Amino acid sequence: MGIPRFLNVWGTHQFWVGFFNALGVGKIVFSSETSEEQYREYGKGRITMDSCYPVKALAGHMGELLHRDINLLFVPMIYSLPSFLKGHVVDTLSCTRVMMSVENLKAGFLREKDEFSQRGIKFVSPFVPFAEPEILPKYLWESLKEYIPGLSLEETAKAVKEGFKALDTFEGKMREKSLEIMKWCVKNKRPALLVLARPYHMDPGIGHEIDGEFQPYGYPVLWYNYLPLHDWLLDWLFGDEIRAGIIKSPFDISDVWTSSYSSNTNEIIWGAKFAARFPWITGVIRLSSYECGMDQPTFTPVQKIVESSGTLFFKFGELDETKPAGSVKIRVETIVYYLEKYSQEIVRKKLIRLKPVPSELLT
Amino acid sequence: MGTKELHYRAYRPRPFTKEERPRTTILFGGLTWKHERLIQGSLERMGYRSMPLPQIERQDLDIGKEFIDVGACCPTTFTAGNLARTLMTLKEKEGEEALKNNYLFVTIGACGPCRFGQYHESYERVLEGMNLKDFRLFLLDLLQMEQSAPGGGLEISMPLTFGLVYSMFYGDLITDMEHATRPYEVVEGSTDAVVKDSVELLYEKLRNRPIKGKKIDSLLWHVFTGYFVDALKEVRRLWDEVEVDRLRVKPRVKITGEFWLQTHEGDGNYNMKRWLEKEGAEVIPPPVAVWMDYLINMELFKLEDAKGFVKKYYLKKFAVESIARLYRMVYNKLRKALNNIPNPMPDQRKLKDLARPYFHYRLTGGEGHMLIGKALYAYKNKQAHMICELSPYGCLPNTMSVGAMAKVLGDYPDLLYAPIEVKGDAEVHAYSRCQMILTEAKRRAKEEFEQVLEKTGLTVEEIRNFEEDHPELRKATYRVPHYGYAGTASNYAMHVAKLMGKI
Ligand code: SF4
Ligand code: SF4
Repeated sequence: MGIPRFLNVWGTHQFWVGFFNALGVGKIVFSSETSEEQYREYGKGRITMDSCYPVKALAGHMGELLHRDINLLFVPMIYSLPSFLKGHVVDTLSCTRVMMSVENLKAGFLREKDEFSQRGIKFVSPFVPFAEPEILPKYLWESLKEYIPGLSLEETAKAVKEGFKALDTFEGKMREKSLEIMKWCVKNKRPALLVLARPYHMDPGIGHEIDGEFQPYGYPVLWYNYLPLHDWLLDWLFGDEIRAGIIKSPFDISDVWTSSYSSNTNEIIWGAKFAARFPWITGVIRLSSYECGMDQPTFTPVQKIVESSGTLFFKFGELDETKPAGSVKIRVETIVYYLEKYSQEIVRKKLIRLKPVPSELLT
Repeated sequence: MGTKELHYRAYRPRPFTKEERPRTTILFGGLTWKHERLIQGSLERMGYRSMPLPQIERQDLDIGKEFIDVGACCPTTFTAGNLARTLMTLKEKEGEEALKNNYLFVTIGACGPCRFGQYHESYERVLEGMNLKDFRLFLLDLLQMEQSAPGGGLEISMPLTFGLVYSMFYGDLITDMEHATRPYEVVEGSTDAVVKDSVELLYEKLRNRPIKGKKIDSLLWHVFTGYFVDALKEVRRLWDEVEVDRLRVKPRVKITGEFWLQTHEGDGNYNMKRWLEKEGAEVIPPPVAVWMDYLINMELFKLEDAKGFVKKYYLKKFAVESIARLYRMVYNKLRKALNNIPNPMPDQRKLKDLARPYFHYRLTGGEGHMLIGKALYAYKNKQAHMICELSPYGCLPNTMSVGAMAKVLGDYPDLLYAPIEVKGDAEVHAYSRCQMILTEAKRRAKEEFEQVLEKTGLTVEEIRNFEEDHPELRKATYRVPHYGYAGTASNYAMHVAKLMGKI
């Protein structure tokens, strides 16, 4: 089974591993991380419309997998996502390009000849609404039953549960890790940075490893989607606003963003709110791909949410296939300069606005 | 500590009260001037003062870019720029205070992570940029019937919703009549004149329509009344006077694309429909009503997929199906009043099935699978010689379905398809791309017509002679049945042949 390491598979890949393991699928092969070479060698010419680079890159992933030892190529159309914000927002949809990219790219591989069957590979692209867990097994089963003989709907439903469990366990671990980092910051009086981006910006070919550039300078980097969600922490940060009736729960973003349809966007907005309140996050790094239509309306609000609290905000926009290594280095150095200069003052100011630091953070 | 002052908060319009209604003008926009004038009639009947935004102009794109963040799709930029231009003009003319107190802007929201769902974020940047945070901008969700803006000044009630639905239907039907007629009008300008008169007549009808009840009684009245059909019968009499010459052989071009761009008539899409007509084509315009039909049917498809997980499945299915049926019934009743000249709405289930091998129907956003479904439907049913698809620069969903068309074209190499990317400032490029495909469409239309003449053994002169004895054939309201040809002239020739007893 080949699965491209693309778009929203970042963020849900533990689900897929758990799901296919439960189904007893022999081996899962993920494509390599996105790279210019991968796109050039396997992807070029497949995409017929101009798009953002993350979508174009999918062509390279699919093309690469066609050259690997697989029988099934599994490319899910992820329509909605499991989000920790569910219930407090209108919906948790994927970007329309993300969900539709598969149909677009599929055309590129079928247009002249059926490249899948030519290589003896079956192509499966189920519709995946993570936010509708009751019908999710049905969609998965309908597209897989042809290729996994004897597969029943009940088995698929069970595997879906296993998938969610695996995803929860993984996320739980990541959130614990983030909490550890945060405690380290408190103890050592060191600030941290928070990255606001789409989950697939963790892919070195998409996010250009900008987050990693800060670590040598001693700045731990947190990702918004793995922030800890403990009640005591959220109450410390958001409790006053809930009691004042500004928001209904710590996960309510309606005070700053009224179009809460998109999962990634909602979480980015929430991450910005978190960063604006958590004292030891003194800088936010925003990453965005070239021509990203989803990020576009969020640029000003996110920056304002972060900056209104005195937290530093830095944006790396228009990221595409070319890695601007030199200019990134120079920018990182400048950012580090600002962080060094202002962080302690930012922490101090943000602390004054909150109740005393919860004991859980001090352990 | 004052958390309220410290943190950024999203824009919230101050309330609009009932008392303010008579002295407050509602600004709105986004559709054709015809739809907007009709909406104005509906709003006025409910006691609102209203004013459509001016027609979109090329300069709106530049104004829009000044205010909103980079990377927006072209409809967002155009409409945000248009709003900004309007506010600037009003501010200059009436002063800032009057603008803030006597005007407000309403935009329709809802659905999906892109499209309308986020337009208002960009409009808010306009208010911010113009230092007009006090100006009121409301986002309304038409699908939520009982929703109202804070303060109660703006109420979405049943009579208002139905007024708006009829405005939309009327606007669509007149637009269809217009495009079916203008390419063939004998007296230049006669179509435009009658469009104007029709819209004014319908505006008056909407403005003076009776309000019968508030809830279910209002619903029943709006669905079953003859009031709206009678109004169209009057309109039909106006169109009876327009003389047409359907022997002009023209390629029929179906317009598809992103919602705003395909329905728009103006600089926002390089005035593509007028340009195509000027180049000798007949245009099939997309009705706004299809969008609502799509939304209703998507609910139905979703429900069907979830059978087994939905409580009271059959009851819910019956309810949605009934809404879908009533919606179509009303539209068809209105079409009939215009002798069925306006095109019927496509069958959503057919569109879904046609598109299925290429695009999953649950991938919603933009037009979803409809772009592919409509293109295939028009091709297979010989509705049009060519598809002109208008894609906004920077659009999220549309780029994906246009990409998926690559496979459709592989399977149907005969389908004439012109995807036109609209950037707002590159019309020469767009026109020349479209022209290339149009040339082939013209050739096909001609060939098809010649085949019909050959098949029927008729000559143009014979048809003309027959017309002289049957002047009703040259009325814009005379309906020519579809004989399986894409071209109007071909179907017309077949029809005359039938009337002459030749086939
Ligand atoms: S969120 Fe942005 S970068 Fe990601 S697929 Fe959508 S448009 Fe492209
Ligand atoms: S459908 Fe495309 S053009 Fe329309 S609002 Fe969405 S992104 Fe913009």
